[in-house]
Amino acid sequence: MSTGFNGFGAAYFDGDRPIGKEVSLHIANNNLQIGFDNGTTLFWPLEDIRTLEDNADKQSFTLRLITDPLARLLVTDQMLLGYLPNATRRSPPKGRGKLALWAAGAVAAVALQVTVLVPLLADRLAVFIPPDGERALGEATFEQIRDALGDTGLAPLAICENPAGTKALAQITAALNAGDGAPEGLSVAVLDHDMINAFALPGGFVVIFKGLIDHAETPDEVAVVLAHEIGHVVSRDPTRHALRSAGSIGILGLLFGDFAGGAAVLFLTERLISATYSQQAETNADAFGYARLEAANVSPAALGTMFERLRDEHGEGNELLGHFLSHPSLSDRIENARSAADETRNYAPILDDAGWKALQSICD
Amino acid sequence: MSDVSLTSPTTDPAGLLVYFVGTRFALFWLALKTGFLTVITLGFYRFWMKTRMRRWFWSAIRPGGHPMEYVGDPWEKLLGFFIAVVILTFYIGIINLLVMFVSFSIFSSASVGYLASVVGVIPLWFYAQYRARRYVLARTRWRGVRFGLEKGAWGYAWRALVHWAVTLLTVGLLWPRMTFWLEKYVTDRTYFGSARLNQGGHWAMLYRAAIPFILSLLVLVGGAIWVFWLDPIVVSADMTTDDIIRSVEEMMDGGAAALPVVGVERLGIFLIGILGLLYGAIHYRFVSKRLMANHKTADGITLHSRLSGPRVASIYVLGSVIAYFFLVLGVVGLVIFAMLTLGPSAMLGGAMGDFGAAVDLPKSIAVLLIAVFYLSIFLLWNVLYSTFVTFPLMRHIAQTLSLPQRHGLQVISQRARDEFAEAEGFAEALDLGAAI
Ligand SMILES: [Zn+2]
Repeated sequence: MSTGFNGFGAAYFDGDRPIGKEVSLHIANNNLQIGFDNGTTLFWPLEDIRTLEDNADKQSFTLRLITDPLARLLVTDQMLLGYLPNATRRSPPKGRGKLALWAAGAVAAVALQVTVLVPLLADRLAVFIPPDGERALGEATFEQIRDALGDTGLAPLAICENPAGTKALAQITAALNAGDGAPEGLSVAVLDHDMINAFALPGGFVVIFKGLIDHAETPDEVAVVLAHEIGHVVSRDPTRHALRSAGSIGILGLLFGDFAGGAAVLFLTERLISATYSQQAETNADAFGYARLEAANVSPAALGTMFERLRDEHGEGNELLGHFLSHPSLSDRIENARSAADETRNYAPILDDAGWKALQSICD
Repeated sequence: MSDVSLTSPTTDPAGLLVYFVGTRFALFWLALKTGFLTVITLGFYRFWMKTRMRRWFWSAIRPGGHPMEYVGDPWEKLLGFFIAVVILTFYIGIINLLVMFVSFSIFSSASVGYLASVVGVIPLWFYAQYRARRYVLARTRWRGVRFGLEKGAWGYAWRALVHWAVTLLTVGLLWPRMTFWLEKYVTDRTYFGSARLNQGGHWAMLYRAAIPFILSLLVLVGGAIWVFWLDPIVVSADMTTDDIIRSVEEMMDGGAAALPVVGVERLGIFLIGILGLLYGAIHYRFVSKRLMANHKTADGITLHSRLSGPRVASIYVLGSVIAYFFLVLGVVGLVIFAMLTLGPSAMLGGAMGDFGAAVDLPKSIAVLLIAVFYLSIFLLWNVLYSTFVTFPLMRHIAQTLSLPQRHGLQVISQRARDEFAEAEGFAEALDLGAAI
């Protein structure tokens, strides 16, 4: 038994020459019989015939044979489709192993780069940046952070500069930043933002958010955080970190694709603020901070008090905790802070009550 | 459609016509469907989306009634993307780091670094462009016969750099020379089966395509001379442009101008000039393609294009306006949808990029939502642009093209498959891949 189809407009392409051949189309014995003018006939097994997907034309469709990657049959008779059992079945994809290999390679390459190569190179190079360059890097990132956290597209985030508060802040800074090895050109700024956080930037910038001052119950709690951040400044941790970010942002842009612009910058800014340094860097900054606090006759235990309250109120998702959480566990650090305090010693608060009031109103 | 006409060699001026089938709605639906899948897979489906869109467009274009075919494979594109990422992360990451270091150490500023890292990517950009073209041609067939492009991406990249340098040094006067030679470089390496294409003509012929652009420039320059010098619009002697703009603004607000001005309506000549420049740019881009198409040949095959500059420009203008209108509608819809499902505070906090304590949602979810939101808007734009600009543009280009001479087709045979490990991965990774 044989079924005939309308061959009008149908054409066969042999996959070698761009010449269409007129054909007659029949189905018999589970084969599509493609007949040519010269009397020859091709037999295509029905179950091996596929249609080309995503065809734009409703009047015609193109058939291919899975065993012949090149030959094509253009058909206009829609009836034929009904006889092809596997017309829309997908062919099994090839080269999955290779794909998996390269995918793993891509992930590994990015991971290797972001976690090993860029940090390594950045650490080596950071030492060689001259002070002016470091300062410029710090200013650039500082402005970037102010812009990102300010009213979107409008003004950058305000710097708090109430004179009395500034004086109190300078007093704390001077007390902590004294003695041997004190970095020159240290600038401490308060930004008018509710985030409970503080961070250091290249070139001796330390930024405290107003939220941190609001959250602190004593001036010493601000001082312990500041002392820790000065520790980062001294060991140039932020410079390394900024260089690492410069190396990583290109990679991020690569992965984020077309909508990279905003997202990558946001991500970068976020990373700068919640900078996580190495365990060694944190431990060193802590040790440095305790030494400075001792020198200023302030109890390091204030750090423990503050962290406990933060953890109770906000859980461990807070940015500041995130920073301090990095490697030594938080409870270890609270413990360390307590034990760094000399119990026999008679500590004094870093600011008197008037100074503390002034600092609290630095953003007014 | 039988090809009786093919067997008798003909130079009939109409020649082999190129048809375009397929409806705008079908394309819109395909773009929307694949775009949605791309959003919910966080971008991964884009390789499939691109493949399916190309398959659709290719099958819509039918020289002599027979569809073109796109045989590119999404898995192959995904693989190519991974390959490009592996290679590029080292290049971009390390280079960026070094460049920033040098920039801060020597120049104490970030801008030099940004500039240098952009400049450093330019050669790669041309390289990727050529590789992408080679990939697409290698995966394009007509009547079962493959197209192809010879190797030569680095040759293209350095030529492009030199041509750009020359063009910039001559303030654009030699732009047509660049357009011509770069297109000739590619065309002369393009094959259809065993037949090699050849780009004839001379670069100076492209100045014809630049006429509207040049006229608009003249209008602007002439207007400036007229309004500021021959018959000054401002009577006062020492005026700055700021003063003029301010007076114009004041007059628009209905107030009296602060400065004594005469015939301020003549400033409209600049608006005409700038619109003219925009039109001139589109006109040049497409009419130069037409002029060069008319000089493309292979043995026994010629091309003829009747593409219309004004028509293309109106497609761009109208299509963009319509697409933009629907985009605004779509964005409003998305925002309302997000507000309803997530609550307004999360939405606002997310859009501001505020990761602080004000956002109640866990940070990772907020970031994810922002990503999806950006991606949705971007893809919505893509869908609308495909529907209202790419579709009519492709249709116009196809329908105005014909092959007056085609007896050369008789002697063409198949060419070998061009294995292409990285597909258009570089173009994809470097963000060149937005266009079809
Ligand atoms: Zn720290």
